[in-house]
Amino acid sequence: MGIHLPSLLPQMQEFGQALYERSLELSATIPKAIKALHLTAELDHSDLQSKIKKAGNRWTGAIPTGETLNLTFPSPATPQSLHVIGADGSQIYPDRHAAAFYYLINIGSIVVSHGSGEAPTIQQESKLFYKLEDLYDEAGHPVQNAYVNLRRDVAEMKTLAERAESLASEQTLAILDNSLLLWMALQTGGSTSRETDRTLQQYLKLLDRLHSSEAGLAGFIDRPRSVSVLALIHLAGLPNDQITQDTVRLTPFRGLTDRAIFTKLLPPGHRSALFISASPLNRDFRTAGHEVHFFYLKTDADDTVVRVEIPTWVAQDPELLNRVHAGILQDCQTTGGFPYTLVRAHELAVIPPQERAAFEEMLQRTLLGHGLRPTQSQKALTKQLTGQRKQHRL
Amino acid sequence: MPESPMMIGRVTRCGTRGFVGAMQISENALPVFGSLCQSEAQGGRSHVVGLVYDISITDDQFARQLAALDEVPQEQIADGQLNRQVPVEFSALAVGFNDDEGFHQSLPPQPPLTLASIYSMAPGDAVDFTSQFHFLQTILNAPQLPVDELLTTALRLSAQARPEEERERFLLQAGREVARLLAQDLTRLENILRGLHAKE
Repeated sequence: MGIHLPSLLPQMQEFGQALYERSLELSATIPKAIKALHLTAELDHSDLQSKIKKAGNRWTGAIPTGETLNLTFPSPATPQSLHVIGADGSQIYPDRHAAAFYYLINIGSIVVSHGSGEAPTIQQESKLFYKLEDLYDEAGHPVQNAYVNLRRDVAEMKTLAERAESLASEQTLAILDNSLLLWMALQTGGSTSRETDRTLQQYLKLLDRLHSSEAGLAGFIDRPRSVSVLALIHLAGLPNDQITQDTVRLTPFRGLTDRAIFTKLLPPGHRSALFISASPLNRDFRTAGHEVHFFYLKTDADDTVVRVEIPTWVAQDPELLNRVHAGILQDCQTTGGFPYTLVRAHELAVIPPQERAAFEEMLQRTLLGHGLRPTQSQKALTKQLTGQRKQHRL
Repeated sequence: MPESPMMIGRVTRCGTRGFVGAMQISENALPVFGSLCQSEAQGGRSHVVGLVYDISITDDQFARQLAALDEVPQEQIADGQLNRQVPVEFSALAVGFNDDEGFHQSLPPQPPLTLASIYSMAPGDAVDFTSQFHFLQTILNAPQLPVDELLTTALRLSAQARPEEERERFLLQAGREVARLLAQDLTRLENILRGLHAKE
């Protein structure tokens, strides 16, 4: 019958107090972290690289590039005309309690041609997965939600690649509402690993296509919780002989995020220095020529700091890097620091409850039309029955 | 008035006294206040005749956020007007129906069903339908509608559907019928007749 609010009241008080105390502690830590960043920036590049090497393969901090770590970079000139492509996806997960075992992926995308005055072109693509090879791995296990997320991420990138190819001779920027690194590939787990690897290779080939189209490409991460730059400045402060698996983990900046320090450091419109993600997954990307770099960007005057991920071919091309930087800022102007194209791509991709209900009704009619009796599990039925009961509120 | 019927939306809500249609905005297809439309009912055996009395565009928080800005890029305005899934809703008062025997100026036997297509009424059909004036009573009896303005506009549009030489005669006949119906309410009658005269 829902949450027992009376028992939560005292916990809520404690929660509020704890959040307040933590915010005081973190506020005191931010200046120390910024000072540590400045000190790290003064270190010799080769010294820093040797510390990173010593931290080992499991260290997941930010690897510096040639740019000075504590420098900030103002917005380049806004291009006269720029096509910005946004793509986002949503899904209906496989549900063993539903009338049929399937999953659905829905991708929304938009191309806004800044400076044209023309209405953007929009696209929605829904795909139903119901074949045995879609639903079961080679060992016969049913697909997990993480694998559906992986397929969705690939479908989003495929849409970006297709739309970028259709604009190949134009100035184009493709923005993904997600990390470029296919994190889900690490989370799909054992039994589907071969299929996961195949999917990762497909994803990398799509990045090849985007590279060939000469579009700029960026993964946009709003309100990032990443601590990779903090991990770097912690590592930089450790004496070489004290760098071990344990000491690199014992950070004095626990609870703080990179975003907190760059919110203080970056003026509006500025980006941070470029870094390389030290994630193990990035090794596959590096091998394929798409090693993921990132920077932080303050997208508006209200302290919105986002993480922008770019492949190596954008990071190493000043024109493409500037296009990503200025293009994202231009696309964020009317939407409070979040790109307009992603707002709209999300709106096109999302499956509202009423549309989901209409789809399920269509599915039931189809099953009946083929002489099949659609039945939900007893658990799903009883959930519907009890879910309709309304609790009286005082 | 378009020469042939044009689809202007689909039914989203309906009842015997009228129906509500929705569509994505397109200036060509936008129905006008006081115009006649038709929607299929009874499995195609009849068509309900509706008179458009309200056109509304639903807002949302995103539209409000953009509207509050000093300057909105033209691409985003065009996106909001042409692409976004925010339908224009229009409401129509049922003023009659059409079946094998022709037009009838009374409430329809059944309303159209959800998602039935709604078409603008072709000028020829509008002339046929408004050759009788019983539908004026239905308009005058409609509660909570801008009845006087609706009636004036509907008659003016019906006059325009006719050849120029017939318009004045049509409006005079319509005015006489309105005078008969509103004999007890001279203030309203005067307003409506003034409206008809002014817009002739």
